[in-house]
Amino acid sequence: MGFLLLFPLAVAVILAIVRNGAARRVIVYAGAAVIAVASIVFVGMHIGSTGEYYEFESEIVNIVCTVADFVIAFIVAFLAWRYKKWMALTLAIVQAALAAVFVAGGWEAMYPVAEGLYIDSLTLMMAAIIGVVGSGIGVYALGYMDDHHDAHPAIKDRRPRFFGLFFLFLSAMFLIVFSNNMIWMFTGWEITTVCSFLLIGYDQNQISVTNAFRQIVMNMLGGISFCCALIYCGVELQTFSFIEFINIGVAAPLMVTVPLVCLSLSGITKAAQMPFHTWLLGAMVAPTPTSALLHSSTMVKAGVFVLLKMAPIYAVSFIPSLMVVLIGGITFCLCSFLAISQSNAKRVLAYSTIANLGLIVACAGVGTPEAVWAGMFLILFHAVAKSLLFMCVGTAEHHIGSRDIESMDGLFQTMPRLARYMMLGIMIMFIAPFGMLIAKWGTLVSFLEAPTPHVVLILLLAFGSGATFLFWAKWLGKLSGIAGNPDDVETTVHSSEWIGTSLMVVLCVICCVAMPFISDIIVRPYIEGVWGQYFTVLGSDNLWIASICTIFVVAVLFGALGRTSNKKHVGVYMAGISYDNDQRKFRNSMSGVTTASSRNWYMETLFGEQAIDPMGTVICIGIIVAAFIIGILSWQGVMIPGIPGLM
Amino acid sequence: MNAIITNPIFLVVVGTIGFAICAPIVGCLLAGLERKISARMQGRVGPSILQPYYDVRKLIEKDDVSVNGADGIYVSCALIFTFLAGGIFYSGQNLLLCIFIITLAVLFFIIAAYSTRSPYAEIGAHRETMQVMAYEPMVLLMAVGFYMATGTFNVGGVFFLNTPMALPLIGILIGLVFILTIKLRKSPFDLSYSHHAHQEIVKGITTEMSGKTLAQVEIMHWCETVLFLGWTGMFFVWGGPAFLLVGIVAALVIWFFEIWIDNNFARVKWKSMLKWAWLVALIAGGLNIVVLAFI
Repeated sequence: MGFLLLFPLAVAVILAIVRNGAARRVIVYAGAAVIAVASIVFVGMHIGSTGEYYEFESEIVNIVCTVADFVIAFIVAFLAWRYKKWMALTLAIVQAALAAVFVAGGWEAMYPVAEGLYIDSLTLMMAAIIGVVGSGIGVYALGYMDDHHDAHPAIKDRRPRFFGLFFLFLSAMFLIVFSNNMIWMFTGWEITTVCSFLLIGYDQNQISVTNAFRQIVMNMLGGISFCCALIYCGVELQTFSFIEFINIGVAAPLMVTVPLVCLSLSGITKAAQMPFHTWLLGAMVAPTPTSALLHSSTMVKAGVFVLLKMAPIYAVSFIPSLMVVLIGGITFCLCSFLAISQSNAKRVLAYSTIANLGLIVACAGVGTPEAVWAGMFLILFHAVAKSLLFMCVGTAEHHIGSRDIESMDGLFQTMPRLARYMMLGIMIMFIAPFGMLIAKWGTLVSFLEAPTPHVVLILLLAFGSGATFLFWAKWLGKLSGIAGNPDDVETTVHSSEWIGTSLMVVLCVICCVAMPFISDIIVRPYIEGVWGQYFTVLGSDNLWIASICTIFVVAVLFGALGRTSNKKHVGVYMAGISYDNDQRKFRNSMSGVTTASSRNWYMETLFGEQAIDPMGTVICIGIIVAAFIIGILSWQGVMIPGIPGLM
Repeated sequence: MNAIITNPIFLVVVGTIGFAICAPIVGCLLAGLERKISARMQGRVGPSILQPYYDVRKLIEKDDVSVNGADGIYVSCALIFTFLAGGIFYSGQNLLLCIFIITLAVLFFIIAAYSTRSPYAEIGAHRETMQVMAYEPMVLLMAVGFYMATGTFNVGGVFFLNTPMALPLIGILIGLVFILTIKLRKSPFDLSYSHHAHQEIVKGITTEMSGKTLAQVEIMHWCETVLFLGWTGMFFVWGGPAFLLVGIVAALVIWFFEIWIDNNFARVKWKSMLKWAWLVALIAGGLNIVVLAFI
């Protein structure tokens, strides 16, 4: 465990110093391989764990974490000053002040956490995702960044910093998932915030700077909220142990309402839920490996990880649960609608990420074992499939010169392997028998089987799912088009990009096929560890049927579709007046030649950002404000009749 | 031995084989009957009841031509998954799994049309995708209502009921019948392709399909009809297998109603379809679920 925490850090330091491209390549390959293998070995050693806590206290780590907190605030304040972003500056100062209050309070020394580190099966799953998916993206980034700088010569080459931050990010993620000490967890939390801030701003042109600051403002709010929760823990609960916090919360929900609402807000900002979703959309300006990293294995997953850990408290705590459930559900539904109106592939992916995170957030808020089962699978499948999709879009962009879905017409022939990878990724995201939909199925079941069925959530899920089908299916359709014999432009793709994408394809297929197995060895031990018993959600027979179907579809996609058929080929129907069938040209009424063209449906007027975005933002802000007011009132002992859980 | 017979996966396999044999026969006869009934509604004599069978036999005998060779594979996948969905349903297994697998079948059908890159087929595919989005919420709500009424997602659960589901789930039944018009490709919602001869997008989603591929599409449509009528029929079954007859009669009545609608309404635009399908799902389906959850 110590190795997983420190090794990426060491790699990060080396990469930040090394200027030589060839040396960097070797270090990244080796570092990524070591991290991936180490995390797999680590998971293998502890498989089936229901929770192990390690006696680990360290004054040095405490000091390092505190110093890191101040350094982070200083970095943000400095950059905010330089770019004249006063909002960010103010928040950085507020955060530094809160951290100073925390240090002055001396609670850290008064209530030391004996068991600083821990593992359970949720942590193991996260470690595997961070270690394997994260390092896969690191390898992919090698080739991608070469092309990136070739395509944009104006951008200054800051690759040492890029890869340094990349591995620092992984280290911070490990810190979040392994820490039982909430103060250390907070430091990891803040490091991921500032890393993603710097990675988003990599290009340092105006748009990326603006978007980076939007990210930092929103996530600083989350950080401040986390800090408030820590101070509350120091004053009222007198413990910084995460597990004790959860235990207190389950035993006496009223005692933790305020810190729980605070932590929920931090989780929601990190997981880019409405109204904070714009930071993740803005993050799309960053180089694609950054997007892949933020969306799949790090950053947003830290947010849902913390929320999912707190699921047992949500199950008994009415107001925070309602807040999280509603925001998650509304975000899922509205962002699925919004994705329909987008033709930019990266924005579609971003909206789909936000929507799926919404589902995970809602699962955490429901808080039953069934919901946690579904939430864990959503995290897993989303991580592998989304990183695959981002990498595919990034590579396609460099070879067809566009990230617009309409330009991906005929990719099935121009980039045959990549198109199949992308099709597989898309299918995993939205259709049975693949994992994501099976996890969604579990979500639906858990919403229904909750002590009181979450009717609003079920409706949001039903309508959101309809929209999900539309925006994925039309993209999938675009990719599948076959016409004529265009040139294969795939030959120039970097081998590191193939390694990254192929690794994800393998992971995707393994996860989908082995889903019943993963349910038994990873998800089940976690649920048994937390609740003491296990509840079957879908039944292994159904899972096995799905996994057999998965094998069939993968075989069709990579096997049968590659064969050349011996059928007689004919041109497409052009109302009998074809000129060139492969180019879809026909003779028009003036005897000239016209090309038939068709675009997908985007339905801007119904599902455009102007129509839906303000609605979601206003509703979700209202929910958060209401939750804070009620939470604080109930802490002060004010009774509100008619709201259960406060009496 | 007993353990094997009651094993769900075994039941699904047997159900799928059984469905793949029986559903095309039943569906073919229904399609013939439908043409006869439609003809009588329009004051015509109509073709023989076996006409759909003759049509498909002729298609199978035709030359095997294709615009790219891939569409046939996609359509075969669609047909196989339709069999599987039917097998899951008629062997009394998980209703949600059945819904998801039939959606997968529709997706393969849509990709088959997209893969041809034919303008007419593409428009058909767009519209078909839109249709899925329009009916999917109601289909999911049907499964939710089923669970609330029976306490299980297993279709076999209906045999343990004391009264037919149609009573507590009347709103959901209305919603289902409404979207069934889309799923069965009936006017006013036959946007992606129509059984009637000429229209503005030629043959829509099936424009480029011919010969054996088109034959498979026809067979798939028969099977879908049998499956969807099963969905409506299950609302009227309770108490034990003897009441299956009630379910069959009820399904046939609803089927007749759909033919009547088909013959009496003109096609609408996609916006109206989406609006009405979602409104009905939200009001009829949503209210029904709210009532079940809180009363």
